Amino acid sequence: MNKDGIHQQKKDIGMYRIFLTYFVGLILLFFSFLFSLSVGAYQIDFVTVLASLFSNQETKEVLIIQDVRLPRAIIGILIGASLAIAGALMQGITRNPLASPQIFGVNAGASLVLVIIVILFPIFSQTTMVYFAFLGAAIGGLTVYALASPGGMNPVKLALAGITMHLFLTSIIEGLIIFHEESTEDVLFWLAGAIDGTDWGHVETILPWLIAGMILALLIAKPLTLLSLGDDVAKGLGQKIGWIRIASAMLVILLAGASVAVAGPIGFVGLIIPHIARKLVGVDYIHVIPCSALLGAVLLVSADVLSRFISFPSESPVGIVTALIGGPYFLYLARKGGK
Amino acid sequence: MKKSFFVLIGILIFFLAACGTENEGTNDNENQGSAENSDDARVIEHEMGSTKIKGQPENIVALEFSYVDALASLGISPVGIADDDDENRIIAPIKEKIGDYTSVGTRKQPSLEVISSLQPDLIIADLQRHKDIYDQLSDIAPTIVLSSLSADYEEILSSFETVSEAVGKKEEGQEILKEHKKRMEELRAQVPEDETRTVMPAVVTADAVYAHNFESYTGSLLESIGLKNAIQDGDDRYNKINLEQVVQFNPDVMFLMESGEQTIIDDWEDKPLWQEVNANQNDALYSVDRNMWSRFRGLISSEKILESAINHLYNQ
Repeated sequence: MNKDGIHQQKKDIGMYRIFLTYFVGLILLFFSFLFSLSVGAYQIDFVTVLASLFSNQETKEVLIIQDVRLPRAIIGILIGASLAIAGALMQGITRNPLASPQIFGVNAGASLVLVIIVILFPIFSQTTMVYFAFLGAAIGGLTVYALASPGGMNPVKLALAGITMHLFLTSIIEGLIIFHEESTEDVLFWLAGAIDGTDWGHVETILPWLIAGMILALLIAKPLTLLSLGDDVAKGLGQKIGWIRIASAMLVILLAGASVAVAGPIGFVGLIIPHIARKLVGVDYIHVIPCSALLGAVLLVSADVLSRFISFPSESPVGIVTALIGGPYFLYLARKGGK
Repeated sequence: MKKSFFVLIGILIFFLAACGTENEGTNDNENQGSAENSDDARVIEHEMGSTKIKGQPENIVALEFSYVDALASLGISPVGIADDDDENRIIAPIKEKIGDYTSVGTRKQPSLEVISSLQPDLIIADLQRHKDIYDQLSDIAPTIVLSSLSADYEEILSSFETVSEAVGKKEEGQEILKEHKKRMEELRAQVPEDETRTVMPAVVTADAVYAHNFESYTGSLLESIGLKNAIQDGDDRYNKINLEQVVQFNPDVMFLMESGEQTIIDDWEDKPLWQEVNANQNDALYSVDRNMWSRFRGLISSEKILESAINHLYNQ
């Protein structure tokens, strides 16, 4: 009787903690969203921001918020969430704390294909580019997987394979840039990961993909949790682990590929957010996934706001800020021997 | 035993080869030095120290466009130019003056082999781009390093003076500078006293606007004849900006250096926010040549830029 009572108590505290995390996360998201709309070369106060969101007038403030900042903030939320989910999925199926679209060459692969298309065949529309991003993401991810798995994939092998892929792809990209100087400025900026200059067109392009990806990720959460307990356990419980891995990998390609197609390879979100999420809500992926999405969105939108101050009033790539935040945290994780 | 013996021989051979090359180098320089007995030697102070130059250099390699401009003004044709592998970057008025030359590659990474094959007697390099290869360039020929990439209008003028001194045409250089300043006065006179419009020279690509502020070369040049720049502060001379910032700076006139067929300005045409920008409302969006307005940075090109600006602003 007592044992059950304690067990129930623990469960209650657990749920309490989870809901608290969501609650705080949503508040943080709300405020970073607000800052994203108000901060910039043209400073607009919160009250005007809120009033402008639904206004029909065509004043400068309203236009800036509705046409420039709102789509940018929404993209920040979508991509931040997607990259974080992608990272969570990867860490789940590989049981490797380093797994993320960046380390796995997914970002690099998508970037390479996109840079090739933009420089050599700049005739495709935004929507078509997303398919190329998927192709590149798949090539990058599969190559690293193939390099790292023989003999069992451990974090060290994964990191080495991932970095090799990243450097290889970077060198090809650099070569392309040197021989096509006109595109250099734009491409270099984009390669650091950037969401400034995005508009409603970009939102339209990736919204369906990312929403679909997020919903599917939630559906795969339960099997993923079982998988993370160990292959044997999962098999014993009747899970088709091969299919779970393939489905998750495809979701990663979907989420990361679409994100890179619009914003370039933004790093560290997919790597560190799942760690934080797991610390806060535990190891059940039915919570890790939405929590990662929430925290990823907060991180990217906040990073975007911060990036506006690096070389005010010019724009700076948001990838710089995520690297500045993520780098040290990653080192801290490495020293702790992360989980 | 045998293996390590061969390894030792191998290392010795490498050593001798390396030493041999160095010696050759110094020997050559010494020979050159003693051959030129003229007392027409001068020491030129430049960004990376001082270089001794004898006589009047005839085979000059210019590693930035502003030096080509300077040499052309002095009536000298450089034998080699770092033209980014594209001879179309040399603007017409200067091309006419200098005729043929050999391309030594990109300004970012000029080919040392091609440069040395031209057997130059003077190399003019840029501080920001070439400071790391200064030693190698000095081995090929006397090299002076000036500021081109990061220079504003005033610095370009003083670089011109240094170049004229280096080629042994100091007095001629002063004359040309005087002529140039006179021409600038004439151009300044064509700008009305009460001109209050702000201008924004900017490179526009498919994705962004890179605006030149008041301290940039183009910006400072326009300011010098009374055309105020739309961006009056900030640490960066070149600012990557979006529609939002263009609206904030709200230039009355924009000089667009287009990079590529399709630029972001085309994307903005339908946006109501773009209609808020003065330059758009006044129909004061002028396409200008990037080579002339931004890359060339020299006396001839600065006169041409101002003529072009005045033409757009007052004669249309």
